[in-house]
Amino acid sequence: MTINRREFIKANAVAAAAAVAGVSVPAVASNLITSSDITKLKWDKAACRFCGTGCSVNVGVMDGKVVATHGDIKSPVNKGLSCVKGYFLSKIMYGKDRLTTPLLRMTNGKYDKEGEFTPISWDQAFNVMAEKANDALKKDGPEALGMFGSGQWTVQEGYAASKLMKAGFRTNNIDPNARHCMASAVGGFMRTFGIDEPMGCYDDLEAADAFVLWGSNMAEMHPILWTRLTDRRLSAPHVKVAVLSTFEHRSFDLADNGMIFTPQTDLAILNYIAHYIIKTDRVNKDFVNKHTNFRIGQTDIGYGLRPEHPLEQKAKNNDKTAGSSKPIDFDEYAKFVSTYTVEYTSKLSGVPEHKLEALAEMYADPKVKVTSFWTMGFNQHTRGVWANNLVYNIHLLTGKISTPGNSPFSLTGQPSACGTAREVGTFSHRLPADMVVKNPKHRAIAEKIWDLPEGTIPPKPGYHAVLQNRMLKDGKLNFYWVQCNNNMQAAANINEEAYPGYRNPKNFIVVSDPYPTVTAQAADLILPTAMWVEKEGVYGNAERRTQSWYQMVEAPTGAKSDLWQLVEFSKRFKIEDVWPEELIAKKPDVRGKTLFDVLYKDSSVGKFPLTEVPEDRLNDESRDFGFYIQKGLFEEYASFGRGHAHDLAPYDRYHKERGLRWPVVNGKETKWRFKEGSDPYCKPGSGWDFYGKPDGRAIIFALPYEPAAESPDEEYDLWLSTGRVLEHWHSGSMTQRVPELYKAMPDALVYMHPDDAKKRNMRRGDLVKLISRRGEVQTRVETRGRNKPPIGLVYMPWFDASRLVNKVTLDATDPLSKETDYKKCAIKIVKV
Amino acid sequence: MTDKKDNRPSEYHVASLVASPILAQLDEVKAVITAVEGAEIHAVSDEGKIVFTVEGTGFKDLDKKIDIIRVHKGILNLSPVYHQVLDEEQEKKLAESDKTEVLSHQITSEN
Repeated sequence: MTINRREFIKANAVAAAAAVAGVSVPAVASNLITSSDITKLKWDKAACRFCGTGCSVNVGVMDGKVVATHGDIKSPVNKGLSCVKGYFLSKIMYGKDRLTTPLLRMTNGKYDKEGEFTPISWDQAFNVMAEKANDALKKDGPEALGMFGSGQWTVQEGYAASKLMKAGFRTNNIDPNARHCMASAVGGFMRTFGIDEPMGCYDDLEAADAFVLWGSNMAEMHPILWTRLTDRRLSAPHVKVAVLSTFEHRSFDLADNGMIFTPQTDLAILNYIAHYIIKTDRVNKDFVNKHTNFRIGQTDIGYGLRPEHPLEQKAKNNDKTAGSSKPIDFDEYAKFVSTYTVEYTSKLSGVPEHKLEALAEMYADPKVKVTSFWTMGFNQHTRGVWANNLVYNIHLLTGKISTPGNSPFSLTGQPSACGTAREVGTFSHRLPADMVVKNPKHRAIAEKIWDLPEGTIPPKPGYHAVLQNRMLKDGKLNFYWVQCNNNMQAAANINEEAYPGYRNPKNFIVVSDPYPTVTAQAADLILPTAMWVEKEGVYGNAERRTQSWYQMVEAPTGAKSDLWQLVEFSKRFKIEDVWPEELIAKKPDVRGKTLFDVLYKDSSVGKFPLTEVPEDRLNDESRDFGFYIQKGLFEEYASFGRGHAHDLAPYDRYHKERGLRWPVVNGKETKWRFKEGSDPYCKPGSGWDFYGKPDGRAIIFALPYEPAAESPDEEYDLWLSTGRVLEHWHSGSMTQRVPELYKAMPDALVYMHPDDAKKRNMRRGDLVKLISRRGEVQTRVETRGRNKPPIGLVYMPWFDASRLVNKVTLDATDPLSKETDYKKCAIKIVKV
Repeated sequence: MTDKKDNRPSEYHVASLVASPILAQLDEVKAVITAVEGAEIHAVSDEGKIVFTVEGTGFKDLDKKIDIIRVHKGILNLSPVYHQVLDEEQEKKLAESDKTEVLSHQITSEN
């Protein structure tokens, strides 16, 4: 009997894989996979917990535990495939050190910042939090409160948090960790198109004739999309792949044109391509005349460091004018880019001339449909918004945009960086549906939807991620709640700018996490968190696809979702505690109510009764609060975007779909935005309509190459680039707990060129120190393996909590997007 | 550390994967897969994609076997698709309920 059982499971496994490969399997086997009464597994769909690709996975639950996962064959994103991280998804929830009780630093039974972590009840935890939040509010007002959230929050969690902070506590000091990965992409979209997120979709992968990877290592970071790209390349022989990076990585295996460039010179290469298109007379004049404007942007804008930093003292325009621009005409633009000749660009970037020409020709040839992909190489860049603007220039000059295969495509790193961080607007300057706090009309719209008095939302943008750490250190931000991220590992320049703020005696730091991360350990109070399918939620991926899932298992006893934590905490505050009298006077019926009543229960969030939660479904939060809270939050949030080119379908429909790409109009999703015929928002007869801008025209920006904040010199003689690896997701707090992922990639090594090692008398495996002006980190040398840096540059991933590479990185940011440049700083390496 | 030292109950693992080889090296890749103990090829698509399973006694065992295949130069892409674990307890429980089910015969005969 046992043998049969095993063969049965094996048949399931074969059926799943055969379906993915598109080969036929015996009928019995293919039926089995969904036959839950036979497998004893209850299968359900969920969006993957990891990257921004947004794969759908089938989750198999047995006896209240997730025991199997496989790629969802019905998903248009991954078509049954999964990557190595998604494949072991079922195990992220079952790490041995899962937290199940709140832990407060205490001495002799009392809170003490220098005390030891001691288990306390949830009630005690909220008591101490409320006390500390009230103290900060009374002493320094709402600006002393802050929150650091996540592109891994569900849409509902991000929305609930944003409402709590911006309307409840009346502070805009809420920012997501998406600031570290997507802020420059957002800046690029808003500046060029006036509306956020990609116009294309993953269908471009099967339609393009050429792919260009700008810094992105899709083979490791977006493996499912890479599989689709590989399939396209191998099945259509004319398809070409160009890969640009500052070091050689796995994506180069498939490259027809692989290019290693000197850090920061991507800006020059982008301008060279524009110059080449103009010089060879391949500008799509009809498109450019009808659908674009030209502008020249402000330059010398600084590096987003503290004002007293010498680089900021030197910068001429690191003020409010940094993002400004002036109109120019085509001839002025052509003249501007003409300085980026192939000779100059080749010399600056180190890329041979013939390779640059082959790249430029691919974009210029009107017969070649080109899709460009990028992620952190462009975004984590002190000129990240510029880099995004410059790649759009190329697609706009040639009209290669918004049609199948012609797609400038900004990939995302987190599962809901788009859905939660960007669309919900959990940034310190934003509101839902691309609106911003400083615009009085936008605030009025939000206050109306939230049924709150005029003047509730403060107009001043709050502290962004990097500024939050600086303000913690400076003692200006005193009550700080971190959810769903690991910023003590992820932030740059930890030694000088992160750790001091967390341990500043003036501050009280709360960290919610399923595991005792580095950040949790630096906190004063740790809250144990339910994760992924232990709660119901919605994620939005990089192609505007919104996906939902139901709660499938109970969290370990004691662990509670971020949503529950936020909403339960809101019960601790009366409106009189947090709002001034003059605001209450505008809406006297809120007097005596709690934030829970005003923001959630009595608002439109609370209007869906518990009876709408399917009876056979778990839903801990709704059953606790007494209404279908996930639906209420989603529907209220969706009302911001409906009719405004951000339309979402009714909540219940998402439970039946493998996601839908917004705008969803008349029940139909939108694949390519801004193109008449595929986007219902385009004006009839327009052809293309970039309706994010008042005149329907996208902007081509003249922006120069400017050097990096820090470059190697005599003492610190190497470039350091940081990044990710296939096996681990970001800081590794989940994947490092999956034994086979840990084993496959246990430690973060420093990858260096064999000649650089030899020159320093080092060999593979040697213990070394990476030293910058800010700190040092020890690791071992790797001279072989998957990453092959050129001479003069080393690469070290940041997933390893025992070797924090961010102790040496520099907290230089793009002054426009406030996103940190993790790809460039100067270090030296010495033997230990 | 081996699985036994972990003091965990004995486990049965099965994983299915799809390998995309360089077509010129298809036969070589197939030979590499079949040489791994517990690995079995079930189908090859017209495009040369190989559908195979790997069975083992623990995560590490399974992973070691997959690694042998993963690092082969002739493979452009290796996609894991399905993974399931049965521990002793679950297996006993399921075997019990099998007594009332007949379908397991069919599968055995299909294979």
